[in-house]
Amino acid sequence: MSPLLQVKNVTKKYGGLTANNDISFDVAENEILSVIGPNGAGKSTLFKMISSFTPTTSGEVLYRGERISNLKPHIVARKGVVRTFQETTIFKSMTVRESVVVAQHLRAKASLAGYFWGSRTAQEDVTAFEKYADELLEFLGMTAISNEQASNLPQGSLRALGIAIGLATDPKVLLLDEPFAGMNHDETMNMVNLVRSVRDERGVTVMLVEHDMPAVMNISDRIVVLNFGEKIAEGTPSEIQNNEKVIEAYLGSVDDEIGM
Amino acid sequence: MEQILANGVYLGSQYAMIALGLTLIFALMNVLNFAHGQMYVIGGFVTYTFYGQWGVPFVLALVMSCVTLAILGALIERYLFAPVIKGSAREESTMLLAAGIAFFLDAVILLVFGEKQRGVPKIVDGVFNYDFRLIMPYDRILICVLAILSIVAFIGLMQYTKTGRALRALAQDRTAAQLMGVNVDRYSMIGFALGAMLAGLVGGLLVTITGVNLGMGGPTSIKAFMMVMIGGAGVISGAIWGGIILGFMEAIGLAVLYQYGDITYLLIFVSLMIFLAIRPQGLMGKPWG
Amino acid sequence: MFGFTAKQLTGVGIFLFVLFIGVPLIIGATGRWDFYFTLTSVALLAIASAGVWLTFYIGRINIGQGAFALIGAYVSAILVVKAGWSFWISLPAAGIFAAIVAILIGLPILRLRGVYFAMITLVLTQVVTLTALALPITNGAKGISNIPLPSGVSLFGIPILPDFAGMENTKLAFYYTACILMVITYAALYRLVNSRLGHLCRSMQQNEELASSIGVNIAYIRIVIFAISSFFGGIGGAMFGSIAQSVYPSSFQVADSVNFMLNCFLGGLGFVFGPMLGTLVLYFGWDLLFEFGKYQMLIYSTILILIIRFLPNGLLSLRFGKGGDK
Repeated sequence: MSPLLQVKNVTKKYGGLTANNDISFDVAENEILSVIGPNGAGKSTLFKMISSFTPTTSGEVLYRGERISNLKPHIVARKGVVRTFQETTIFKSMTVRESVVVAQHLRAKASLAGYFWGSRTAQEDVTAFEKYADELLEFLGMTAISNEQASNLPQGSLRALGIAIGLATDPKVLLLDEPFAGMNHDETMNMVNLVRSVRDERGVTVMLVEHDMPAVMNISDRIVVLNFGEKIAEGTPSEIQNNEKVIEAYLGSVDDEIGM
Repeated sequence: MEQILANGVYLGSQYAMIALGLTLIFALMNVLNFAHGQMYVIGGFVTYTFYGQWGVPFVLALVMSCVTLAILGALIERYLFAPVIKGSAREESTMLLAAGIAFFLDAVILLVFGEKQRGVPKIVDGVFNYDFRLIMPYDRILICVLAILSIVAFIGLMQYTKTGRALRALAQDRTAAQLMGVNVDRYSMIGFALGAMLAGLVGGLLVTITGVNLGMGGPTSIKAFMMVMIGGAGVISGAIWGGIILGFMEAIGLAVLYQYGDITYLLIFVSLMIFLAIRPQGLMGKPWG
Repeated sequence: MFGFTAKQLTGVGIFLFVLFIGVPLIIGATGRWDFYFTLTSVALLAIASAGVWLTFYIGRINIGQGAFALIGAYVSAILVVKAGWSFWISLPAAGIFAAIVAILIGLPILRLRGVYFAMITLVLTQVVTLTALALPITNGAKGISNIPLPSGVSLFGIPILPDFAGMENTKLAFYYTACILMVITYAALYRLVNSRLGHLCRSMQQNEELASSIGVNIAYIRIVIFAISSFFGGIGGAMFGSIAQSVYPSSFQVADSVNFMLNCFLGGLGFVFGPMLGTLVLYFGWDLLFEFGKYQMLIYSTILILIIRFLPNGLLSLRFGKGGDK
């Protein structure tokens, strides 16, 4: 069986600077794969290329054998590969529930004109969106804050809101941007469980980019390690933990990022 | 050909000064100063009053234009922009305020100076004539030289003085500048005054050539916006390039398309749109989201 | 109906009553016939302002509506005078032409944000004015005058719209026409904002990146919204030209574009009916200050500056308090 997502020889150059050099790896269906690496290793650039937020310089990303790189973000999202953002990127003056309702728009059956005239299909859509939003928020344990305005939420809830918005689009692959950044141990563990249940119960393949080593070791099926824009290792958490190159890369960088 | 080049340099140097003031205010406070053209007109009228009416030496009249506008700019910043920036939920409010100030200044100009076109006696007589290939009145040459000197002086001020360094720090990153101990409120005011002063200075210089009238404010602001967009908003080198490019485009356009009248501006606008489609941040601007 | 509450329906009912019955009665009683022209202008400017408000709704500061109003006015005038069309067909044609221009111009410029978009739309107004001066078909500075009043329309021999030229009171007829157009515009705007398209606009206004990550085709929606916005501008401008029976390059200028923006700001960007209120207050205020003669502009702009200084979030923010972003 071919892998769900393939990153093939992807390279990104900004002027003379190489952010990613010839990176290749696969993500299997129903897997949780993490991309880690010290600061400036090129994680977020890679992430943007997979979601088509930035074009590749060379190489391509395939989803079910179809190229999804160098397109527009909304087209990639429509194919089922959806990214989340860090907590500042939200719909500030919408409530949690409104955000989740809006994010379901790809599931709409009625046309925009149908909504304008209030057609029957459009009304059914609206009812279905609201029902699903409540369901999703309950699944994520966010029912209590569903009517809060997003800008009033604490950081941890914002992260969950980001995931809720991503999940509302009904993705096959969810790309999470540093889901554990700035969280304490308990919050991190909650988030780990949440991400795992997204995979287990919703059948969503998860790829995440992260700093937090213990959380990554805990959650991932496999890990890809980047350093200075190059892939230096790939394997299961235990393989990565014992990989000399990885240890070297991390020892060479900021100490507090080891955390092992 | 030589004539077009000379006209381009002449127009470009004036335009660059207008654009410099606008871009400085934009860089410092993120305010799009709609009233910039009106400030230019006031500068023109002040010089007209001192030099044309009362016979004060031209240079002194120019200084008066600068002083008037600097004070006006400082007051506007201190009592209008600064509090609105602090109190408003959206940054667009400053745009509304700027538009209100433009209307206000127009009204003041109308009441104080009237509607009529005003001109002043020539500052120097005679025409430079090089073999009929290049004809340029001496007063234009003088004004052009003065404009270029002012630009050089402005760049020198920004590069080498304490004030200039503080202003540049402020333009780059407000918060960081504050942390570094720059008095943000004070330098915002100084910057705004400086930007307004530049507008007044060009007004004072150009009144000797083109005269001045109430209706010049709006179109001047619009030209300044175009220059700033060409060069990249908030960048000093961008404003200068924008001014020179627009000056040359106008000089060439008016020479080549003379019989078609205002079609030049349509062409300039269309090229500007195509240019911005390719490079939304302008020539010198930093790429943005 | 459409999920309105009883209170909202009552409000709409009162508004329509005042608009169509109350105002004519009051004007009849006081004899201030000049108010018809003022209020007709307010209604038409409010249509154009509605368009500007809509572009605000996707997070773009639009100072180019004067351009589209001028385009609409010229298209209608040329079709009526030179091609002999009925005004009532030229009206939608003017709107559609403005929308097509908006699509062509919007493709490159809608990528710009913030002040950049604001600046280029402002420049656009100036350029359309200059183009009208330069083109042969628009008659340059002389403009197009003596536009005939709208003719009657009948379908299968039944008169649907009366012939304005045969009327005794064209002021009232234009007032009603403008009000009907305004009511339709705002009803459409209300529906649009409260339908899925409106929700997508809101998501774009708040964060374009996040909106595109959930599959919103932001480039497409921007174009659609800008086209609708300019359609409103074209309709308002065309109707204005018909009332004035003339169009000049100076009919809509940079100051008008700025005023359309001011109407929206002042009414409050968070409220669908904000631009209507803003237009009424600004235009009426301007008109009332006429008595002050040469001080009119000074007083007007001073009041404007004071309002912004002390109510930076719009007039309607007084009633709804802070954070009324709906």
